Amino acid sequence: MSAASHGPHDSDAPNSSHESPDSHNSPDSHDPRGSHSSRGSRGSHGSFRARILLGTALWSLGLTPILHILFLIVHHQLHRELSPSNVKTLLGFGVAFILAGIWQFRVALVPFGRLRAQLARLQDGSIERIEGKYPTEVQPLVNDLNSLLEHRERIARRALAKAGDLAHGLKTPLAVLAQEAEQLEATGQSESAATISAQVERMRRQVDYQLTQARASSAGNVAAARCGVLASVEGLVRTLEKLYAARALKIEVDVAAAHVVRGQREDLDEMLGNLLDNACKWAKSRVAVRSEAEGGMVVVTVDDDGPGLAAAMREQVMRRGVRADEAAPGSGLGLAIVGELAQLYEGTIGLEDSPLGGLRARLRLPG
Amino acid sequence: MRVLVAEDETLLAKQLIAALGRAGYAVDHAADGERADLLGHDERYDAVVLDLGLPKVDGLTLLRRWREAGQSMPVLVLTARGSWHEKVQGIDGGADDYMSKPFRMEELLARLRALIRRANGQSSPELRCGALVLDPRSGKVTLEGAEVKLTSHEFRVLSYLMHRGGQFVSQAELTEHIYSQDFARDSNTVEVFVARLRRKLGAGFIETVRSLGYRMKGDT
Repeated sequence: MSAASHGPHDSDAPNSSHESPDSHNSPDSHDPRGSHSSRGSRGSHGSFRARILLGTALWSLGLTPILHILFLIVHHQLHRELSPSNVKTLLGFGVAFILAGIWQFRVALVPFGRLRAQLARLQDGSIERIEGKYPTEVQPLVNDLNSLLEHRERIARRALAKAGDLAHGLKTPLAVLAQEAEQLEATGQSESAATISAQVERMRRQVDYQLTQARASSAGNVAAARCGVLASVEGLVRTLEKLYAARALKIEVDVAAAHVVRGQREDLDEMLGNLLDNACKWAKSRVAVRSEAEGGMVVVTVDDDGPGLAAAMREQVMRRGVRADEAAPGSGLGLAIVGELAQLYEGTIGLEDSPLGGLRARLRLPG
Repeated sequence: MRVLVAEDETLLAKQLIAALGRAGYAVDHAADGERADLLGHDERYDAVVLDLGLPKVDGLTLLRRWREAGQSMPVLVLTARGSWHEKVQGIDGGADDYMSKPFRMEELLARLRALIRRANGQSSPELRCGALVLDPRSGKVTLEGAEVKLTSHEFRVLSYLMHRGGQFVSQAELTEHIYSQDFARDSNTVEVFVARLRRKLGAGFIETVRSLGYRMKGDT
């Protein structure tokens, strides 16, 4: 994780490792503020106008002796009016004042460079807000931009929460209907039971799919975040070991703590959770998850030693979206959801043969 | 075996209680988090089916409270919230299993059986004591291959004793695990159930030791 994207004026750059080592203990560890304090930004920049005026004054002051000397040279009176040492002193003063003036202009413009660097970091998810103090003329603009970001994020989060509420509000009635269908089945009305079960399953898929879509489309408006692959994998492995406690599965983890991807923790959990769950479902005894950096991307591979998947079936499984109402039992939307989310984050997902004998899922995400 | 169902949706709770009752469990119901908290602290459950979206106190808070208080009964979370992030939070909060709605009752019963079995250190799905076999999956008891008809209370007494392997179980403990909360309890009836079991199974399987209680005798 290099500091390449940091602006040249980030005095806190040496401390800005993206993930604190204990960050996986906290569910909110994707909040990057902790590791990017604005403390290091140069203090108040005062007024931009004052700097420019001071620079202009210094520049003019420096120009006066030089113009004076030039005037004398033009009128061939230099040797009569000034001794060579006086010329040198005057020139020295002039040049010094001009340089001081230029320096003032430069200092006045520094915050703009910093602002550009901050905007770049905002875009790549290193920060959530524009930080630091800016000249009094620029600060209101920065404040407005920050509140605009906040406003957009609030709206996106609210829309997402509403979509979530709707989805979860539907799940319990669906559970009731599913139980009713089981009751009908038990009383011999298996045709009705099968119809209700199939429709419940279709609705569940719709709800899951649309919820993922809602989350995916809001992700662009919620402040970008970064999250560690290891923290996510560790939580999921703890969970899967409980969920698959009945089977003696060995889940090997070889993920570097430094591997960080751009995105919401919830979405990374969803992608890796579906891949790992799929691997656990099919594995005979072994599942392996690994990560490596590849260019600007982080590649996570999930392997299992199960029966694998014929090459012809792979694309079909990936495309199994909401329309697949002929889905075989147990074949969830999992991989299709991973595909949707990966695409949103400008990543890719592919299925290959695994060296363990089963299927390998290869998820590439921007780091 | 006694199970707490913490679920606020009335219809679903009814369906769960009915299905668990049919499977031979004594079932208590809590329709909100406060009630579930109270029951979880006061009563001895062999497992809990916990909805996370409970009114008053949410399920995750409840789970953390129980675990902090040292309550170690297996908890199966049953929730509408099925994202992986939420599953991790549930398991890290102390859940032993996690199912999202809608679900298949058969699967829920199987998972609950497995949780109870593991919590009692049993590895095989069938419980054995010599020629006596109790299968929690079918709720059937066989002696030398022949099915023995038991009433639901007799079944619960035998199932609890067999789950505990060869350990002694006091009369009070047995009472706590075979009756649901709204049942008028009388520890004398445990003696009656044991006597009936002895009559049906033969005297050799259940041993009584004064001051220690009952246990299954023989090769478990």
